[in-house]
Amino acid sequence: MKPSIGERVYLVSVYVVLSAVALLCLLPLVHIASLSASSLQAVSAGSVTLFPVDMSLAAYTQLFESTPILASLTNSVIITVVGVALSMVFTILAAYPLTRSYFWGRRVFMFGIVFTMLFSGGLIPTYLTIRNLELINTYWSLWLPGLVSVFNLMVLRTFIENIPGEIDEASRIDGCGEWRYLLQIVLPLSMPVLATLALFYGVGYWNSFFSVLMYINDPAKYNIAVLVQQMIQSQMMLAQMNGLESSEQLILSPEMVNSAAIIIMVVPMLVIYPFLQKYFVKGVMIGAVKG
Amino acid sequence: MPLFLMFIPVIAFFVIFKYVPMGGVVIAFKKYNLMDGIVHSPWVGFDNFRLLFSTPTTVQIIRNTLMLSLMSIIIGFPFPIILAILLNEVRHMWFKRLVQTLVYLPHFFSWIIVSGIIVTIFSQQNGIVSGWWESLTGHTYPFLYREGSWLTIFVGSGVWKEAGFSAIIYLAALTNIDPTLYEAASIDGASKWKQIRHVTLPGLQVTIVLMLILAMGRVMEVGFDQIYMLQNSTVSDVSEVISTYIYKVGLMGSQFSLTAAIGLFESLVALILVLITNAIARRFGNGLW
Repeated sequence: MKPSIGERVYLVSVYVVLSAVALLCLLPLVHIASLSASSLQAVSAGSVTLFPVDMSLAAYTQLFESTPILASLTNSVIITVVGVALSMVFTILAAYPLTRSYFWGRRVFMFGIVFTMLFSGGLIPTYLTIRNLELINTYWSLWLPGLVSVFNLMVLRTFIENIPGEIDEASRIDGCGEWRYLLQIVLPLSMPVLATLALFYGVGYWNSFFSVLMYINDPAKYNIAVLVQQMIQSQMMLAQMNGLESSEQLILSPEMVNSAAIIIMVVPMLVIYPFLQKYFVKGVMIGAVKG
Repeated sequence: MPLFLMFIPVIAFFVIFKYVPMGGVVIAFKKYNLMDGIVHSPWVGFDNFRLLFSTPTTVQIIRNTLMLSLMSIIIGFPFPIILAILLNEVRHMWFKRLVQTLVYLPHFFSWIIVSGIIVTIFSQQNGIVSGWWESLTGHTYPFLYREGSWLTIFVGSGVWKEAGFSAIIYLAALTNIDPTLYEAASIDGASKWKQIRHVTLPGLQVTIVLMLILAMGRVMEVGFDQIYMLQNSTVSDVSEVISTYIYKVGLMGSQFSLTAAIGLFESLVALILVLITNAIARRFGNGLW
């Protein structure tokens, strides 16, 4: 059956709209990348759109020489790596027992956990708790309050529940204990979903901003998100004061350095993203089906 | 028994970092001071709440929170659905995958990055959007410093960042629709539009209701990162919300009891909204629990 003219118009417009949407998601970042790698004259003249004009990496040199970006990058890596490890261990320890039908008190624990999703003490009581534990200004204050995400926990629980019961029975007969069953059977079978959860936690820790602002006072411990925010904020303040046109002798404008910082912060994400894409779609779907 | 040993650290986590703070909401009914701590500070009953609802600033902040989140939810809601329906029509797998890769991407950017991009392209001096605006109208426009355009940018940036990723859930639901329904419809001469109206949308109904319930739980909150990065003193009449207020007045200004009260109010309203929406959804046979 040949498609009618109406249908063909419809299909073409679907492709056109989707292409436009996809470009809309990508192009702002491309523009920022071009700004960060152009010359000041080109940026001030507004002639930079999607490609660098008068290619120059001065913004990056400036960024690494006169801002603590290297230290804040290191901090971000520490926060992310340790945070992901801790969160994964706790999420696994939470999810596995909750899948065992013979686990005493399973329903009560489940309710207690889900309830924290519906109601929380709020920001101030959490802050006071952290302060009373004397965790302020340590990275523990970033890792501990959000250690287990209930959503991620549910995703993992659903996945483990779907592992066929025969595998369980067979390994029991072979005399396999809980720990060995978890480590040698369940976890290897759950690799795809574990990768997804690690990605979600990793992105969360890498992007963490508010918690750092709240709990960390020492600028030397700031992560890259806070550093970039402060750079952008000071640029906005300059813009509000207007007429600070002393840029004659400069070779850079603040927005070029900021653009460079944005690119530096995005790059790690862009690097791992393609590898994990096939996993996270699956992860989200498992979570969605269960609700 | 080994299961329980495994679970002890988890219980400890939820008790210390979720349930202890939940108990800590009592300071909303106290006059907290550092010396006496949470337990020994004097009770003041509902004084903090009375103060909140009689002060014009805090009433405005609650109103702003509601308005911004409702705008984001209502305007943002259809985009993922439309995107999923469009993606579902695509027959070239490579094209579909490419589009998906690109539209999921912004979800993984932090608000710091997204706001950084926004501040740069809307900058009045040499932002690219301002440049276009100037060449069209002949003068520059302070997009981030006028309430109307600021609200548009706020809502728009939320859609830009999350619409693609939210479409995943609808795409999953679309794969569950029986293809024979489309065949039957097309044999009966139903046009594409009619097929979408009478086959696709009913098939998505359960998911749409589910997403609505979840959205209801967020009506009282506006994510801190986004608003904190985008707001400025010129538009604070519309941009000051509960989360930024708690940060500035509560944490920076040490008004713990007052801001704990507004936080408790926020949590309670969210809880009630979720329960109500779920009850309504259950009437129609697809509640969350």
